[in-house]
Amino acid sequence: MGITASPNWGGWLVAYFFIGGIAAGAYFIAGLIELIGSERDREMARGAYYLAFPLLVLCSIFLIADLHRPERFWHMLIQSNTFWPMFKYWSPMSVGSWILSAFGAASFVSFVDTLAEDGRLGLGRFGGWARSLRLSPVGKLFAVLEMLAAYGLAAYTGVLLTATNVPFWSNTNLLGALFMASAASTGIAALLLLQHRTASHESLAKLETADSLAMGLELLIMIGFVISLGGLAGRFVTNPYGLVMLVGTGGLGLLLPLLLRLLAKPLGRNPAVVNALLVLIGGLLLRYGILFAGESLTSRVG
Amino acid sequence: MSDAYGFYTDTTVCIGCKACQVACHQWNELPAELEQQPTEHSPGQTRPMTGNSYDNTGSFSDVNWRHVKFIEKSEIPAMGTTAASVSHSPQDPNRDNLQWLMMSDVCKHCVNAPCLEVCPTGAIIRTEFDSVYIQEPVCNGCRNCVGACPFGVIHMGGTANEGEGTAKKCTLCYDRMQHGLTPACAQACPTESIQFGKITDLKVRAEQRVKDLHDLGFPQAQLYGADTKILGGLNSFYLLMDQPEVYGLPSNPKLPSRAVIPSTFLSMGSALLVALGGLFAFRKKRMEEFAADPTAKER
Repeated sequence: MGITASPNWGGWLVAYFFIGGIAAGAYFIAGLIELIGSERDREMARGAYYLAFPLLVLCSIFLIADLHRPERFWHMLIQSNTFWPMFKYWSPMSVGSWILSAFGAASFVSFVDTLAEDGRLGLGRFGGWARSLRLSPVGKLFAVLEMLAAYGLAAYTGVLLTATNVPFWSNTNLLGALFMASAASTGIAALLLLQHRTASHESLAKLETADSLAMGLELLIMIGFVISLGGLAGRFVTNPYGLVMLVGTGGLGLLLPLLLRLLAKPLGRNPAVVNALLVLIGGLLLRYGILFAGESLTSRVG
Repeated sequence: MSDAYGFYTDTTVCIGCKACQVACHQWNELPAELEQQPTEHSPGQTRPMTGNSYDNTGSFSDVNWRHVKFIEKSEIPAMGTTAASVSHSPQDPNRDNLQWLMMSDVCKHCVNAPCLEVCPTGAIIRTEFDSVYIQEPVCNGCRNCVGACPFGVIHMGGTANEGEGTAKKCTLCYDRMQHGLTPACAQACPTESIQFGKITDLKVRAEQRVKDLHDLGFPQAQLYGADTKILGGLNSFYLLMDQPEVYGLPSNPKLPSRAVIPSTFLSMGSALLVALGGLFAFRKKRMEEFAADPTAKER
């Protein structure tokens, strides 16, 4: 039993980390596609833009629901007694509140822009402007901003956990990196799942390669994470929640789909949907395992 | 900054009477922590006994801002044990050579307070007395401070119209101090184990006491949190008769902000590698296409 008390960050936070990770990962890769992808690949980016903003709205609901005083959620952004902006660059939760706002604004613009581009806003020929704006230098600059906001959202949650005194969370500096890699792998998996019927074979193959690389990175960081725990590594690998992460994420969510992809050619079939689902489940178990492994070593639950 | 005030707790004279806990509950109008609060028609249910010595408080909670700890130590080896195994089996089965360590635990009002550092709403502030204070009307119940505190001090609580759903902890009796009064616990302590005053004065007193104890043949006497090693210093520091861990105090608590820069850089590295992976995935195919059909134009 540790001395630190449990913040009791439960289901809402696991859901937020997971869904926020998907939104951030998909948005990150969409920004990248805008910058370097071919015209055909942009189809995948558009899928991400339709996904990111609605997921972010969902995240905000989860986060507000998690507060014990939900009606005071705005205290994170505005000082309630002076009405000046509230910002502490050294507090990950404070920074994260602003990152969420920035991501919300950016993903909303992308969402509306994509609607216009696809002619779903009834703008007629003005819809074409959205497209030309996207392809202009302004659009490219915006893609960079998209990637920055997505990186922030993906990574700050991991840094937030590290900036505590909870066992496991505070014994490593790799949670931000791990959550970033997991956001990428789950975000891309969500795009694969969403578009495996509509997108071109070739774009899907590219996306799958990007996903596999992110998964490999995630696996490496996960190993690094366990090593970085030092004296607590043994306790983590025997902790039930730690095992959920190692077996569930490492084995089922990363190794198995990577293996299935490697064997796709010799076997003559590529279970793309199964793979994507496995990666998504792995991403969920990663957040679940890390969150509850830490809280299981706190002193007083409740 | 005006003078820092706080507690110096000399655990050697604590008798475990819990008067400090009672005084704290009375002044701050904290209800008893029962399984069920008494009503007009029912007397209420008491908590189950902890079975841990005379400690029936168990831990800090939203209504227990002080917690008197009872640590049972047996110095004399039980029959059949070797000296070497004593440290691993501190309980002697008959418990007739027991030694008690008692300590009234409380918020440390750290000079570099982890809770204050992470609080995203600005609810946790430093007062003119250098104490750490939670403004209930500002707190929105995010619980970041709970996990940040290395001493397990803060808990969520409160009832309707009494700061419901906000973080609770010792205020160093901010309301009493604003009127020149000593905090309730220190006022009530019958043995002056809890001493209140200016930190600079208290430190002089504490150092003298450690020297006296060393001269009396207690080399294990040591101060905890009196210097700046632990979170820049604790405005509620202790004189202990054993290692901090024996009292359930962390020997090396961490400052949350220490992790922000290295963690951020490592996460940037991760993002960069993800981007490179994407670059490889999306560019490689294009290059292959170009190699197969050099006449195809770039977009």
